[in-house]
Amino acid sequence: MSKSNTDIQIPEAIPELERGPVWLRQRRQSSRQSYNSTPIPQRGLHLWRYTDPQRFVVDRGDASDTVYDENYDRIRQVELKHLESGHLSALVTDLGGREIEFYGIEKLGERGVAVMPVSEAVEKHHDLVERYLYELVSSSVGKFEAMNGALWNDGIFIYVPDGVTVDRPIHLIRELGRTDSVQFPRLLVVVGKNAELTLVDEYGGGAFGTQAGTSYSNGAVEIFGLEGSRTRYVTLQRQSAATTSYLTHRAGIERGASMLTLALAFGGAVTKQNFGVVLNGPGAESKIYGLLFGAGHQHFDNHTLHHHSSGQTRSDIDFKVVLRDRAISAYTGLIRIDPHAKSCEAYQENRNLLLNKGCRAETIPELEILNEDVTCTHGATLGPIDPLMVHYLQSRGIEHREAVRMIVAGFVSDTLRQVPADLRDRISEVVNQRLEHL
Amino acid sequence: MSHRTTLFELKDIHVEVEDKEVVKGVSLKVKAGEVHAIMGPNGSGKSSLSNALMGHPGYEITSGEAYLQGHSILEMPPDERSRAGLFLAFQYPLAVPGVTVANFLRAALKAHRGPEADMSDFRRLLKREMAALSIDPSFATRYLNDGFSGGEKKRVEILQMSVLNPKMALLDETDSGLDIDALKTVSGGINRFHNADNGILLVTHYQRLLNYVQPDFVHVMLGGRLVKSGGPELALKLEENGYDWVEQETGLTAEV
Ligand SMILES: Nc1ncnc2c1ncn2[C@@H]1O[C@H](COP(=O)(O)OP(=O)(O)O)[C@@H](O)[C@H]1O
Ligand SMILES: [Mg+2]
Repeated sequence: MSKSNTDIQIPEAIPELERGPVWLRQRRQSSRQSYNSTPIPQRGLHLWRYTDPQRFVVDRGDASDTVYDENYDRIRQVELKHLESGHLSALVTDLGGREIEFYGIEKLGERGVAVMPVSEAVEKHHDLVERYLYELVSSSVGKFEAMNGALWNDGIFIYVPDGVTVDRPIHLIRELGRTDSVQFPRLLVVVGKNAELTLVDEYGGGAFGTQAGTSYSNGAVEIFGLEGSRTRYVTLQRQSAATTSYLTHRAGIERGASMLTLALAFGGAVTKQNFGVVLNGPGAESKIYGLLFGAGHQHFDNHTLHHHSSGQTRSDIDFKVVLRDRAISAYTGLIRIDPHAKSCEAYQENRNLLLNKGCRAETIPELEILNEDVTCTHGATLGPIDPLMVHYLQSRGIEHREAVRMIVAGFVSDTLRQVPADLRDRISEVVNQRLEHL
Repeated sequence: MSHRTTLFELKDIHVEVEDKEVVKGVSLKVKAGEVHAIMGPNGSGKSSLSNALMGHPGYEITSGEAYLQGHSILEMPPDERSRAGLFLAFQYPLAVPGVTVANFLRAALKAHRGPEADMSDFRRLLKREMAALSIDPSFATRYLNDGFSGGEKKRVEILQMSVLNPKMALLDETDSGLDIDALKTVSGGINRFHNADNGILLVTHYQRLLNYVQPDFVHVMLGGRLVKSGGPELALKLEENGYDWVEQETGLTAEV
């Protein structure tokens, strides 16, 4: 393992850069050049105040591992059962972009819904892929987006044709190997006009303990919601407590489209995630729910962006954080309203529950509102559980531990209500585990 | 259990809040089947006494003893006091967002009955008690006290009492914020709960509630002490003449 303390150059001739048709190889090469020529972001500058950028510099030569843990098998079996019983439309397992397997996609295919590796989509859906890949997440966002743009292996492509409804979730599991593992997952989703999709995007695996070597994930997600489409995107971070994780998500939605993003995070040693939705047409609506629950020495750094590039658009963020032990969370929420975007509504709330002394949360609202005709509110709360609330429950016979569990469960209940049925038990299980031995 | 048994006993209870003594030696005996009322003007220490007895973290009992059915309760955490049969209807019940009335009461009842207990009767029980208190069934799935009016909160406190069926109920200003119809409903609930084996301590500023729930004994609280005790006629006298004459008679002031 060699996690260098200085910048690393991506060499020109490596297999990843040779994948795909000419246009794609060119984009990979330009991502490589951009990565190599962009300095590591300076610690302390915007969006890097709370997390050391050096953590995300990694030598892709480290990537070697293909060992997956029993937990992966267990979860895969659970989701396969959900597929069998009809709770899921399709299941995809993605092992570092090297092995991607698809289950249940034939039925979707009959209705024109494509769920396939990007390497296949560049042929079968050439126009869509060329038009949308790198459109929202590329080197113009930052150095680590350029890194993914150069080094992603194979990705997942999903396309729902105009007017088609996929009524049960498509579920993706991206699993990181157990030792010395590096992955650059990539996802491109196009939801056609008046089409409907629910997508669960789950990130798991990674090293355990301190002897396990590199455990690193840098993902890119691009979602396009065309006119009148309805998309629900759920992401779950459950990587091991020794994993360094980076994810940039961007969605663009057009006139009358709606997007619900649910970001759930429980895993990782250091996790930096950036969720953004650009509202491009009147009537577009975005709601982002966030929920992270940190324990031990976990470190989370989250950004959200709601960019109103069109007037008459509406956005709403409800980002909840629960921390215990010595866990840390920083949340930066940016609302941007362009000069010509009239009559927008934008709401943002970040609530942080600190279960003991020693954990720490920061909340940074950012507003770039360039049009006066706007309704905008934002708020943040940060603090321990109200001891009087605990007392109230205790005064009815409920033990202290159970009272705390109920109050935390209450704190997150509105968010968990958004979780698709197939995930609900697993999420409640994780939340309950996190509340043990408080 | 005979109605002569002492159910609840306080011996020289002293309470401090924020390093200030606000209850200065209260002694009281409630026998099974009895209804007592503590009346006193604002600031005389009624809520401090009630809260301290329930184990509120902000109120410290600095000396004194309290017994429920012969068991000393002051060493117990609040949940154990509740399971031992003590209940307090709070003057200002808190909202608990995200926890529904039904889930809250189910957890509370389960804590009382034990983890192995059969809870299959719970829904029926809840439905019945809600109907008896004219609480709309939709409240079962609402978050506890979240956005409830003052009167709705008071009803839901009495609902909790009905479901948990404690031995000794302390009701702190349960009549405040109720219109006359609600007052009748709530006092109906209290009277239905009351039997020869349990005890009630009504804590109130006004004697209004006492028209509907007949006390056997009335105690006047002034300056953190019970300064006068009598029968129901004492409440009427207070209603007519206020608290001034008690202050003059005892030479004490109302405020702690
Ligand atoms: N939580 C509290 N913090 C500070 N002072 C309090 C608190 N609760 C009660 N007190 C004080 O204790 C005294 C008695 O108040 P309280 O017990 O509420 O009286 P009552 O219920 O009879 O109106 C008052 O002086 C009041 O200001
Ligand atoms: Mg009071």
